[in-house]
Amino acid sequence: MHKLILLLIGFTLSFNMLFAVDATLKIKKDVEQRTHIALIDCSEAQNSKVFKIFLSDFKISGHFLVDTKHYIGDISNNFILPKLKNKEYVLKYKFSQNNSSKLEVKLLNVSNGNIIFSKTYSILNRTKMPFLIHKSVSEVNNILNYPNISWINRYVVYSVYSAPRHSEIYLSDYTFNYKKIIVRGGLNLFPKWADRKQHNLYYTSYKNVLPTLYKLNIYTGTKTKIISSEGMLVCSDVSSDGSKLLLTMAPNAQADIYQLNLLTHSKKRITRFNGIDVNGRYASDENHIIFVSNRLGYPNIFKKSINASGISQMVYHGRNNSSCDAYGDKIIYSSRETNNAFRNNKFNIYLLSESTLDTRPLTTTGSNQFPRFSSDGSVVMFLKQYSGHTSVGYTNLNSYQSLLFPFYGKKVQSIDW
Amino acid sequence: MKNGLLITILSLLFVGCSHKVPALNNNNNNISDANEISPDTVSIDDHNYDDSNNMKNNNILSSNVMNNSSDGFRSIYFAFDKYNISSNMQSNMSTNIKVAKDSSHKIKLEGNCDEFGTDEYNYALGLKRAKAVKDEMVSQSIAPAKMIIISFGESNPVCKESTNSCYERNRRVDIHLLK
Repeated sequence: MHKLILLLIGFTLSFNMLFAVDATLKIKKDVEQRTHIALIDCSEAQNSKVFKIFLSDFKISGHFLVDTKHYIGDISNNFILPKLKNKEYVLKYKFSQNNSSKLEVKLLNVSNGNIIFSKTYSILNRTKMPFLIHKSVSEVNNILNYPNISWINRYVVYSVYSAPRHSEIYLSDYTFNYKKIIVRGGLNLFPKWADRKQHNLYYTSYKNVLPTLYKLNIYTGTKTKIISSEGMLVCSDVSSDGSKLLLTMAPNAQADIYQLNLLTHSKKRITRFNGIDVNGRYASDENHIIFVSNRLGYPNIFKKSINASGISQMVYHGRNNSSCDAYGDKIIYSSRETNNAFRNNKFNIYLLSESTLDTRPLTTTGSNQFPRFSSDGSVVMFLKQYSGHTSVGYTNLNSYQSLLFPFYGKKVQSIDW
Repeated sequence: MKNGLLITILSLLFVGCSHKVPALNNNNNNISDANEISPDTVSIDDHNYDDSNNMKNNNILSSNVMNNSSDGFRSIYFAFDKYNISSNMQSNMSTNIKVAKDSSHKIKLEGNCDEFGTDEYNYALGLKRAKAVKDEMVSQSIAPAKMIIISFGESNPVCKESTNSCYERNRRVDIHLLK
C-alpha cells in the first residue's frame, strides 16, 4: 500500500518536472485540472517540426496535459488506439505542403468516439505554416471552453544587431519557427506594435541626423514619419486605443518620458529628472505609468500619475532593475543579481502584483532580460542566456507552465509581441 | 483508512476528467485560412527607402587606436555604468575644446556603451555620457547650439572581444564635425 502511494506521488511529481523548464518558487497544484490529450499524425509524410509546434502550443496554453509520443494514424476514420483510452481527447491532424500549406484537424472525444471539432486550415505562404497550427490549437482550446489563448496567433517583432550601426527588424511567430526580415538597411531600433491587430508598427530609424520615429504598415509598406528628437527616441508603449504613445526622448539632451497624443499632436512631458528616466509603460487605468529611473543612484522601477507629480518606488530589492513591463496591476521587471563589469551578469525576471504586493521570481538561472507581457497579460516572454545559449522563454502566469525555444542568430536589441 | 487515502490521491490526480464535452458545431466544419496573418508582409530596405539625406559614416580610424573620433577630436572613455568624465580624460577634453573653438561647423557628440546594459537604459546611459561631454564644452564657452548629441547605445562597438580592454573602448563618446 505504501509503495503504491509513493508511486502515485512520484508520478505526480514527474508531471511537474516534465514541464518545469524554469523553476518558479511558488508551487501550485494544477496538473489534475488539465485535460489529457494525445496527438495523432495522419499526414502522408510525418513532420517532426509540425508535431513539436503542436506540443508547444498545447503545453503553453496551460490547459492540457499532452502526450509527447508521436502517434501515427488515419484521419478518415474515428478509430482510437486502445492505449489512448486513458485520454479525454485525441486530436488527429493531417498536414501537407505543395505551393501552399494545408492542415486538417479532427478532435475526438475518447469516451464515445464522437467528433467534437473538425476544420481545415490553409495558407498560401508555405513559411507561415506555424500559424496554421497555432490557429487550430487556439480554436480547439476555445471549443473546449478554456480561457482564450489567441496570443499564440500573434506576430512577434524584434530587432537584432547585424553589424556596428546596422540592425534588422524581424517578424516571427512566438516559437520562432517562422522568421522574416521586415526592415533592413542602416540602424533601425525599438520596434513596437502600433495597434492590436498588428497591422502597423513603430520603430526608430537612425538614417537621418536625428533619431526619427516611423510608423510602418507591414502589409502595404506605407511609412509615416511621427517625430524626431535629439539624443535618443524610443516608442516605449502605445495606449490600448492606439491614440497615445509613451516616448523616451531628449529634446534638450535630457532623456525623459513624454506622452504624444496622435489625435491632437500635443506632447506632454511626464518625468523631469536630471538623471535617467526611460522605459515608460501604461499601467492600471492608463492614467499612470511605470518606468525605470536612476533617481536613487541605481536603476529601479517607479510609478507616477501622468497628470500629477508624486512618484512611488515600486521595487525594494536589487541594485539594478533596468527593464520593466506592465499589464493592469501586474508589473514584471528584470533585476541584475550580480555586479560584474567584465562579464555577463545574472539577471532574473520578477512578477510584482500591486494589489497583493506579492513579488515572486519567474526565472532562477542565467541572464533573463526583455520581460514582456502577452496581449492578454496571461503569459510573460523573456530572453534567456544560459551556458552560452540564447533562448526565448515563456511563463504562463496561471498554470506556471514554462517553455524555452532556442534562439539562433544575432544579439537581440529589442522585442515586442 | 488506507483505502480512503488512496481514493483521495486518485481523486486529486484525475478530477479534471469530468470537463464538460461540447457538442459538435457543424458551422465550424468549413475551410478557413489563418485570416489575420494570411496576407504577405512587406520587406523594406530602410536605408534606401526615400530621398532623405543619409548619415555620413565617420568611422574612419582603425579600431586598434584608442580613438574613434575624427576631425582632430579625441574620444572620451568612461568607467562601467558611469557617465562622469574622469580626471584622466581631461587632456582629451582640452584637445576637443580647442578643435571645437577652431571650427565653424556643427559638432556631433555620439554616446556609446558596452554590451552589458539593457535596451532603453543603455541608450539613455550613452546619452548621459554625450551630455556630460557637451556640458563640459559649454562650460568652456562652446555654444550649446553648435553641438548635437546622439546615443548609439551598444549598437556601435569598435571591438567585440570578450576582454576588459575591449569593453572599456566601447564605453565612450565619439566626436565628429557635422559637415
